[in-house]
Amino acid sequence: MTSPSIPPAHDAVMNNKVGPVMRQGELAQAVFEAAEVDNPDKIITIEDKVAYLRIQTDDEMIIKRQTIEEMLGRSFNMNEIELDLASFSGRIDTQVDYIRFYHAKHL
Amino acid sequence: MANLGRLDWYDLARTTNWTPTYVQEDELFPPQMSGSMGIPMPAWESYDEPYKQTYPEYVRIQREKDAGAYSVKAALERSKMFENADPGWLSVLKAHFGAIARAEYSASTAEARMARFGKAPGMRNMATMGMLDEIRHGQIQLFFPHEHCAKDRQFDWAHKAYDTNEWAILASRHMFDDMMTTRGAVDVALMLTFAFETGFTNMQFLGLAADAAEAGDWTFSNLISSVQTDESRHAQIGGPLVAILIENGKKAEAQKMVDIGIWRAWKLFSVLTGPMMDYYTPLEHRKQSFKEFMLEWIVVQFERSLIDLGLDKPWFWDQFLEELDYQHHGMHLGVWFWRPTVWWNPAAGVSAEERAWLEEKYPGWNATWGTNWDVITDNLLAGKKELSYPETLPVVCNMCQLPINATPGPAWKVRDFPLEYKGRSYHFCSEGCQWCFKQEPERYAGHLSLIDRFLAGMVQPMNLAGGLKYMSLEPGEIGDDAHNYAWVEKIRTDRQKDAA
Repeated sequence: MTSPSIPPAHDAVMNNKVGPVMRQGELAQAVFEAAEVDNPDKIITIEDKVAYLRIQTDDEMIIKRQTIEEMLGRSFNMNEIELDLASFSGRIDTQVDYIRFYHAKHL
Repeated sequence: MANLGRLDWYDLARTTNWTPTYVQEDELFPPQMSGSMGIPMPAWESYDEPYKQTYPEYVRIQREKDAGAYSVKAALERSKMFENADPGWLSVLKAHFGAIARAEYSASTAEARMARFGKAPGMRNMATMGMLDEIRHGQIQLFFPHEHCAKDRQFDWAHKAYDTNEWAILASRHMFDDMMTTRGAVDVALMLTFAFETGFTNMQFLGLAADAAEAGDWTFSNLISSVQTDESRHAQIGGPLVAILIENGKKAEAQKMVDIGIWRAWKLFSVLTGPMMDYYTPLEHRKQSFKEFMLEWIVVQFERSLIDLGLDKPWFWDQFLEELDYQHHGMHLGVWFWRPTVWWNPAAGVSAEERAWLEEKYPGWNATWGTNWDVITDNLLAGKKELSYPETLPVVCNMCQLPINATPGPAWKVRDFPLEYKGRSYHFCSEGCQWCFKQEPERYAGHLSLIDRFLAGMVQPMNLAGGLKYMSLEPGEIGDDAHNYAWVEKIRTDRQKDAA
């Protein structure tokens, strides 16, 4: 776990962070664990703000329904992520078997 | 019968456009209501919403969200949060519910406009759910504070505020009416769902939730972060719209609406969210400073996504970043100084420990804002409380409706940005507010600020009592220092110790 510090204002926009901001709870933990499994070549960071967890990586993050099911130990519909998906960095792509956060442009 | 996967039928189910034969297209979608800028129908039909949801799924998930929020409230109802909370935190709740709850109903009408007049079928589908979301937000944020009304009359302002001419509500209503209730579907999508909801609502509903969790107010933390899960979905109405506007040569128009939305939202958040985070929330519960939350949510996250969608940084971006260091300090000073005119009790937030924190987060605070608080503190220590109240009216901006202020000290930076329009003088706090006015003067020209109304004799008698009556502030509702000046006594004790 790391907690990246916030860069100076004028440079702050120059980043490529993408990923979900989850309300605290078991789903947030499962999503974080799934992000690590489903994006094996990437470093996943997590910032714990008590009320929410900011889960991020650079450029693109995929989270699969099946991986979340494995982490939760129960069945899970991908759109149930909405229960605790309070915000996200980057763009979103919602599919039946996965959800994807991405930037179209790399800065 | 085999079940189709959701995405196998989703596009077909929400493709609800048809070719009208009894009326013209412009009668079905009046340009003033749809705001479609002459972009042809096939372009609108290419709108592809990224965050897809169907109505049956929506109902099931919303039911679960509400069950969660209401059960946390029920479980903690006997926790004596109200009795044990710091008075500064109660002020956060009062200011939040008054400024937000009823505005959610305006947001619902804005969503309804997109649901009816949006030319893109996908927009209409998303906005139908968005409309229901905002009704939920209005109802739940009226229900939660209601239990406190019997104990503290200021909580009644959760419902009452928008029926008054109280100054902070004049400012809120001016902005929300501008982006929610008086625009066509496309402008609403750009200003409300894109600029406001993918950007600023995160500050109030997640940043503040982090402070609430630190303060142990799980009911509020859970409530507002639950609200933001709806926003997270329906805020995505704006993204694909930006793509269509850019493809059809309307980037400048899109950029302008987004820029107006950002600038206006910034000003309102500087008076509402800034003081809550940096002064009212008890020091030990502050997760981050207001500026740090703004950088996290508005710069690192929102501004980055704006660039990804093909828009540019707003022209005022450098000025906006500069204001992050000072604007809300002035707003806080003003709110505390004119404290009888708000429906909550502002916490001064300037004890020795708090001032050290402010200096750390905003280097130079003591040498600037601190000097104003020195005067206030010295007057209170000397028992001259009357000098800690204003004797004059502030000059307020004819766009944001907020007092014109900037960092005090040797480099006095307060400037008026005036404008003559059809024989009337308008005053603005900034180039940004003046620019918003110039984009569409007729939209704003007829509005009178509270000070304009005072000078026109609409506030009688022309004194504080008349002002409070005009603003519907009754005894028991009028604001005063949140801690009943206990912080002054603490300073007195500390100074006596130092002297001894």
